[in-house]
Amino acid sequence: MRGPWLASFLSSALLPLIAICAFTGFVSHAAYDTGLGSNGLFDEGVDLYFFDWPTRPAWLYAATQGLHVVSGLAAIPILLAKLWAVIPQLFENPAVRSVAHGLERIGLALLVGGSLFVFATGVLNIQLWYPFGFSFVPAHYYGAFVFLAALAFHVLTKVPVMRQAFRERGVVRPLRDDLAHTEPEPELEGRHTTAPEDPAPPTMTRRLLLGTVGAGSLGLTVMGAGQVVGGPFRELALLAPRGEDFGDGPNDFQVNKTFKSVNIPREEVGGDWGLVLEVDGERREVLDRDQLLAMDQVTAELPIACVEGWTTTQTWTGVRLSELARVAGAGNPSEVEVRSVQPAGAFRRATLNRGQIRQSDSLLALKVNGEDLSLDHGFPARVIVPALPGVHCTKWVGKMVFKSDGNAPDSASVRNPA
Amino acid sequence: MRFRYEYGASPVHLLAAIASFLIAAWALSQALEVLSSPGRFLIWLGASIVAHDLILLPLYSAVGSAAVGTIARGRTRIRIAALNHLRVPALLSGLALLVWFPLVLGTGDSTFTSASGLSNEIYLERWLALSAMLFAGSALVFALRARGLRRWDTGADERR
Repeated sequence: MRGPWLASFLSSALLPLIAICAFTGFVSHAAYDTGLGSNGLFDEGVDLYFFDWPTRPAWLYAATQGLHVVSGLAAIPILLAKLWAVIPQLFENPAVRSVAHGLERIGLALLVGGSLFVFATGVLNIQLWYPFGFSFVPAHYYGAFVFLAALAFHVLTKVPVMRQAFRERGVVRPLRDDLAHTEPEPELEGRHTTAPEDPAPPTMTRRLLLGTVGAGSLGLTVMGAGQVVGGPFRELALLAPRGEDFGDGPNDFQVNKTFKSVNIPREEVGGDWGLVLEVDGERREVLDRDQLLAMDQVTAELPIACVEGWTTTQTWTGVRLSELARVAGAGNPSEVEVRSVQPAGAFRRATLNRGQIRQSDSLLALKVNGEDLSLDHGFPARVIVPALPGVHCTKWVGKMVFKSDGNAPDSASVRNPA
Repeated sequence: MRFRYEYGASPVHLLAAIASFLIAAWALSQALEVLSSPGRFLIWLGASIVAHDLILLPLYSAVGSAAVGTIARGRTRIRIAALNHLRVPALLSGLALLVWFPLVLGTGDSTFTSASGLSNEIYLERWLALSAMLFAGSALVFALRARGLRRWDTGADERR
């Protein structure tokens, strides 16, 4: 059953999925605008991002992140089948035939280790299980570089094998063979491949093997897509982490972090709550919830999408961020750092870019679906901005620090708020 | 030509290898510098190879060959079909478990339930139901095919 045709066929299915997954992964990283404020979660060595994340289309982040998680899930069975198809090469003899072959084998160790590492950490992360004891984001990010660097080298060395295999065997011809005609793959001329020397008689056709892999891939695609598309399709996300429904109420939709899980003292979001507006480190306004409700209210139907690959679209009502900037006297601010009253956590603050502040659908939401936000969804007030990653749509907002144009804030007072 | 003989491939191959290793080395050094537990990062990178290539794959291969040796013994059509009608749902059910085991087995202690406000109790039931459906569906198709397969096998005996 094994051989260069099988490996090539699986690879040609795997490669586009990995390309989508890698591209959307880096795009997702760019969506965090890591150059702003404390948005960068770690030292990136080089800054690969040179544009402000846009606010249109509103479903942009839902699409990129949905594609990332779905293509990643769909690739898993194909990757496993591919590793199964080439496993004899792990034990090949002689172990090293030349310097070039030795380098290829080192590259393969990086490739197999890198791919399994990136897929495993990704799959564990979307299920919120962190047994690895290191920080997920930088590990997944740099692991991807190791994986992709090794993959590029591997593709370069194996494209000739793939072309030869497809030329000699046809791209899909081996799929037509029934069991009686399922023959072992012959060795490609002049190459060392996984074509078996002494194969057992087949008990399966190649189309059944690949059909099973395809069914697994399709099943995971449906489960992953169900939690991105949402609505009635969420029920298809049978085993995906966000396949469950909360109910029919206005606040019954997916929560990334519940109020209970972030340890905010109840009185911080009670009657004494007030939104502090600062400009360049100077306090300009404190607005309570009634004052915010008395301002111009804007309603927008916007999706909120999580990096873990799920999305939900709701109707949000609140005050425009640009209106708050005006009230604070911030002019045309270049950025705003939104801080939660949340006592700890990497995402208790997020910095938004100029375009995000100016966008007319960017809101400090007070209500959702016509009702007050629930505590789990960020009561008294939360940010909602089109196409912004969910974790940057800060909940339980306590303070907004605007940076007015061309006037750097006093960094000491920004870091140590009164 | 001399280079190809000594090295084993073209100069482009060597340049690509160097470029690839430099990027990988840069990424590894960045990760080791940024992460608070660099040792565990390296362990996971290496352990993932061991866990897959030396544990998971040999394990399912062994189960597979045992199944071939017992169920498909004699290599009659019906026995080979029975084997496939068992191992296709087994592979799909195993894949679902491999991908979703933190939710299915509830290994993710309380992080998931506390952060999402959702229960993770439904996942074991859902996985069992999915597996049951896969095996039952496969068994049904096998039952429908069984008659034709048996006739084929006896026909083959008579032809012999």
